[in-house]
This record gives sequence, structure tokens and C-alpha cells, in this order.
Amino acid sequence: MSTEVERFLVDGERRWSRLGVLLDRAEAEPARELGRQGMQELVQLYRATASDLNRARSLTADPEILGRLNALAGRAYRYVYRGRPGGRRVSWARFLTGEVPAAFRRNAAVVWLAAAAFTAGALFGFGAVLWQPKAAVDLVPAQFYSESPRDRVAEIEAKEERISKVEEAAVFGAELYTHNIQVSFLALALAALTLVGGLWVLWYNGVILGAVAASYLVAGEGTFFVAWVGPHGALELPAIVFAGAAGLALGRALLLPGELSRAESVRRAFPDLWRMIVGVALILVCAGLIEGSFSQFSAKTVPYPLKIAVAALLFASLLFVLFVRRRPEGES
Amino acid sequence: MRSAPARIVLTPEHVEIRLEPAGLGRRFGAVVIDGLLILGILALSQKVFLLFFGAGIGKALQATASFLVIWGYHVFNEVRFQGRTPGKRMLGLRVVDGRGLPLTVQQSFVRNVVRVLDFLPLLYGLGGFVALWDRDHRRLGDLVADTLVVREDVPWSFVRLPFPPLDGELGGPAALRRLRHRLSLEEREFLVALSLRADRLDDRARFDLMAEVGGHYREKLGLQVPHLSDENLVRALASAAVKRE
Repeated sequence: MSTEVERFLVDGERRWSRLGVLLDRAEAEPARELGRQGMQELVQLYRATASDLNRARSLTADPEILGRLNALAGRAYRYVYRGRPGGRRVSWARFLTGEVPAAFRRNAAVVWLAAAAFTAGALFGFGAVLWQPKAAVDLVPAQFYSESPRDRVAEIEAKEERISKVEEAAVFGAELYTHNIQVSFLALALAALTLVGGLWVLWYNGVILGAVAASYLVAGEGTFFVAWVGPHGALELPAIVFAGAAGLALGRALLLPGELSRAESVRRAFPDLWRMIVGVALILVCAGLIEGSFSQFSAKTVPYPLKIAVAALLFASLLFVLFVRRRPEGES
Repeated sequence: MRSAPARIVLTPEHVEIRLEPAGLGRRFGAVVIDGLLILGILALSQKVFLLFFGAGIGKALQATASFLVIWGYHVFNEVRFQGRTPGKRMLGLRVVDGRGLPLTVQQSFVRNVVRVLDFLPLLYGLGGFVALWDRDHRRLGDLVADTLVVREDVPWSFVRLPFPPLDGELGGPAALRRLRHRLSLEEREFLVALSLRADRLDDRARFDLMAEVGGHYREKLGLQVPHLSDENLVRALASAAVKRE
């Protein structure tokens, strides 16, 4: 018995250490393949080691022996059966202009749901403040709240432009888009795990926006508000809604898998999720750059109607690219 | 904490591969190491950007870079190095797909986005709590992405430690305890060292040495194991000395 195990170990050792060496090399340089011969050798060694593992289980119960063989066979299995990296190569341009919009269109239902939650929140906040202007204190977090919008507008318009150099705009923009992407990720994660939590984040962000908008409107500064928030908001607010929608799509797959297994259901949701997230991140980078520069100009530099026109144009283009325009071969 | 039962994957060759879920202590250790590395990279990149681009553009680049490092560090390492960040590599851990395959970019991305929730309310409170209750010690990110962190370290090579399994009079927990009780620490270390070095001895010397040592312990312990050669007896005793219960 024991001599048999010893012989087995001595016989196998060279094979196993060679397999370990090949795997180390393959993992250290995944881009450079092992080459035809190396690959053949690895597959042969993998098969031999897998059968060694079966044999070892009948020979011994020693945890050291079984543990190491199991780990080795597991590593080799992962390498041999790994997915082909980038099985279907798609150019970046094609990915962004074709596949990303297609993913949003395929998931229109959750996008609508997320948009509805956000809009409902905005209407609630807007209505509450119009009806009861004092409610703004309770609805709006301190950093967005201003006692008197009129004074704030006067102050901003009287001072020099907040952003006067490209460098300042770049810094501010970078801070804004990194922050916004993180907020979107949070909405995504919360929506994926709880569905309701994601809807709540969207609803609550809507409430804040609506309440702030109403408090400026009540103070007679509606135009200022639209010109101030519009240019970047036209991209940023949809992006947060889209992130929530991506989270809802993942959450639906995770929590309501139907007849599929949970793991399988989630896996099927991944490709579209990925496309939507890349889309969201890009939109937020653009929004952040606009917010750090163009949005900060007061009427002295850029007339408000122009800013509002730019906002409308951006919003319309976003919707057109994502939901209206279809490239004949863009659908996959 | 109880150790998790392994998750079993059946390969197309009909071999069962066991995925041993990693314990929370090790995972936390790995996260701490990775966290320190991230902080180091951030501090370094800040210096470099400020030095080369000045306060304006340098700061913008720095904000973008720290964002990329904080969110991209885990994803990059997990995808590029087959599921191992530097911290995981040091502690012998690896993230794999729930089916035992390598994880994809999308999976890595999702498990690392959900990390923000796992981290709440502080220091992985929620993730740790969920992992305590999950059979495979998965945190929320792993549940959503269907991934698993496994242990993958078995440091010893066999030829250096070819201890046979214990059976008969030498097997069983009671016999094991009895043996350990009667062998001093020095004796146990000696037996292990002898078994490890036996390969390097001259054949004749090896036989003689084993015969002497084996004979001594047959007498001392009163073992009735005629089916074992002296060398196998020595190895069996060494095995008993190192065997985990």
C-alpha cells in the first residue's frame, strides 16, 4: 500500500512539476501564448494530471497529496478551458456607436423604469416646494440648499468668472466626473442587489433636483437655474438614470432568474451590462468636462439662452444616438 | 469559524476538482495588502504628475489617475494575472468563476463595483457579514458576479515529503495520539528530517540507518507491524508526527 503511493508520487513528480512550470509561464505572460508545442504539452500534462488525481483519490486520503494535485489540476483546467480572449473582435468605434446603443435599446424597459423613478421623484420635489416653499429645507441636503436663490444668483453674477483658465476647468471637471461615476456605481450596485434600493436612489436624486429647481423658480430665477444646470445635466442626469437601469437589469437577472439558474441568468446579463456601463462612464466624462467649464460661465460670458440651447441640443443628441438612430448592422 | 466545504467541479474528463473557499482572515489580509499598495501607487503618482505637469493639469491628471487606480487596480490584476492581485498572490488566494473557470472582465468588474457596498458601513462590515453566512464565504460582489475566492497553496512538493498514509496499528486518531504522546519533540523532528533526507543517502547507508532506527522504535513502542519495512515504518512514524488531525 504505502510503497504503491510512494511509487505513484515518484512517477508523477516530474509531470506535475513540469505542468506547474508551464502554467507559471502561461500565467505570467498571458498575451504571449505558449506556442503550439507548449500548448500541446500542457494539454497532455493536464489530462495525465487529472487522471493522476482520480488515481490518488483511490490510493490515499493524505490531504497534502490530494490538496496539491487538486490545486494543480484546477489551475490547468482553468487554463485549458478558459474562454478565448476576445473571440469576436469588434473595433472600438463599432462598439461605441453600434453595440452600446443597441444594449440600451434592448433594455429599454428598465431604462424607462429608472427614468420613471427619477422623474417621479423630480415631480414630487418640484410640487412639494411649489406648494410649500419651506419644504425645501427638509428635502434638500445642506450642500445644495441656499436660503435665498436670488442672493446667490446675484453673488455669482457679480463676481469674476469662477473658472477662467483651461487648467482650472480640467481640474474641476476631473473631480466632477470621477465623483459622478462613483455615484453611478453606487446606484448600480444598490439596484443590482435590491432593485428597490436602486429605484430609491434614483427617486431621491430626482426629489433633490426637483426641489432645488422649484426653489429657484419660486425666487424668479428659473432661467438661471436651467442655464446653470442644463449643459452638463442634459448628459449627467440621464447617465445616472442609465446606471440605475443597468443595475436594475443585473438585479432582475440575479433576483428574478425565472427558469434559469441564478448563475446562468447573471452570466447572460453580463455582456449588455458591460456595454451600458461603458456608455455611462463615457457620458459622465463628457458631462464632467462640460460641468467644469461651460456650465460655470455666467451671463457675462455666455448668454443664458445660448446655454439652454446647448443643453437642449446635447440632450436631444444623446437620445437620438442611443434610442433613435439604428445602424442596419448595428444590432447583434 | 467553520471551514467551508469544498465546491466540486466536474471537468469534461470526469475528474472532480475541488474548489476550497478561502477563509475570511486570509481574504481580509489580502485586501489590506492590496489597499496599502493602492495607497502607495496614489502617493507616487501624485508626486510624478505634480512634478511633470505642474499644479493645474497635473491635478486634473491626478484626479483621473486616482480614480482609475482605485477602481481599476483589482479589475486589472484579476484579469491580467488570472484572478490574483498581488495581495491574493502573497496569501495563496485566487478569484475564479463559480464553475472553476477563469473569471471574465465583466465578472471582475461587477464584483469590484459591488465592493463599495461590501465595504459599508466600514472595513468590509457588510461583505464580511454576508460571507460569514454564505456556504462558500462569498461577499456580495461574488454573489452578484458568480465568482469564488479559493485557496490555492500547497507549499510542499511530494518527493520531499513522501509520507505514506497511516493504517492498521498506526492509523486512527487514538493510535495517533498514543504515538505522539510517546515520541518527544526531538524524536519527531528527527524522524521527519530522516525521511526528508533519505533520498540523498547512499543506498547502503540508507538501509542500515533505517534498519537501526526502525528496529529501535519497533522495540520502544512495542509495534506489531511486520508488513512494514523499516524505512516504511520510519516514514509512517514521521507521517504521524506531522499529520494534522
